[in-house]
Amino acid sequence: MSDPIMQEIQDEIKKHKILIYGKGTKAMPMCGFTRETMQFFDRYGYPYEIIDVLPNPAKREALTKMTNWPTLPKVFIDGRFYGDTDVLEPMEKKGELEPLLKEAFKNG
Amino acid sequence: MITAESLTDYIRRAIPGAKVSVTDRTGAMDHFSIRVVSDLFKGKNLLDRHRLIYNALDEPMKDGRIHAVEIKAETTDGS
Repeated sequence: MSDPIMQEIQDEIKKHKILIYGKGTKAMPMCGFTRETMQFFDRYGYPYEIIDVLPNPAKREALTKMTNWPTLPKVFIDGRFYGDTDVLEPMEKKGELEPLLKEAFKNG
Repeated sequence: MITAESLTDYIRRAIPGAKVSVTDRTGAMDHFSIRVVSDLFKGKNLLDRHRLIYNALDEPMKDGRIHAVEIKAETTDGS
């Protein structure tokens, strides 16, 4: 783990139970999919963080390699990668998401 | 910009026999919603199913013909 970008990513996904790597900020999402993902998590009421990777192409590339997933946003829950709302919505329908979030937030 | 036929061809090259439905989300033919049905998805979780589709679309996504795509990936029995 000598790569500083990877170290930064590992620290971020550890720190934030729900983390969205996206385009833009909470106040100004720069992409419809990033906005949709925020709205998706707003319904649950758990805190989430958005990290804008548009200004940081090297980090964007590192994330793509790490997840083997080409697009943004990229969602991490409790340190694990869950893709985007195309994956989260079917998980929600199957009732898999709520227990996952509960587990992630059970210790505060 | 890409045609629905060409997009479908890319997917079928990677996932032979897949049933592909393409919806143009904006009228500009570069934001799509696609539904892919194939039994090659059996035993694969959603992340891996979507990775297969993203890999299939790597070329038109990299050269910008496809700007964004929303994906649904199912098996023929609906799982």
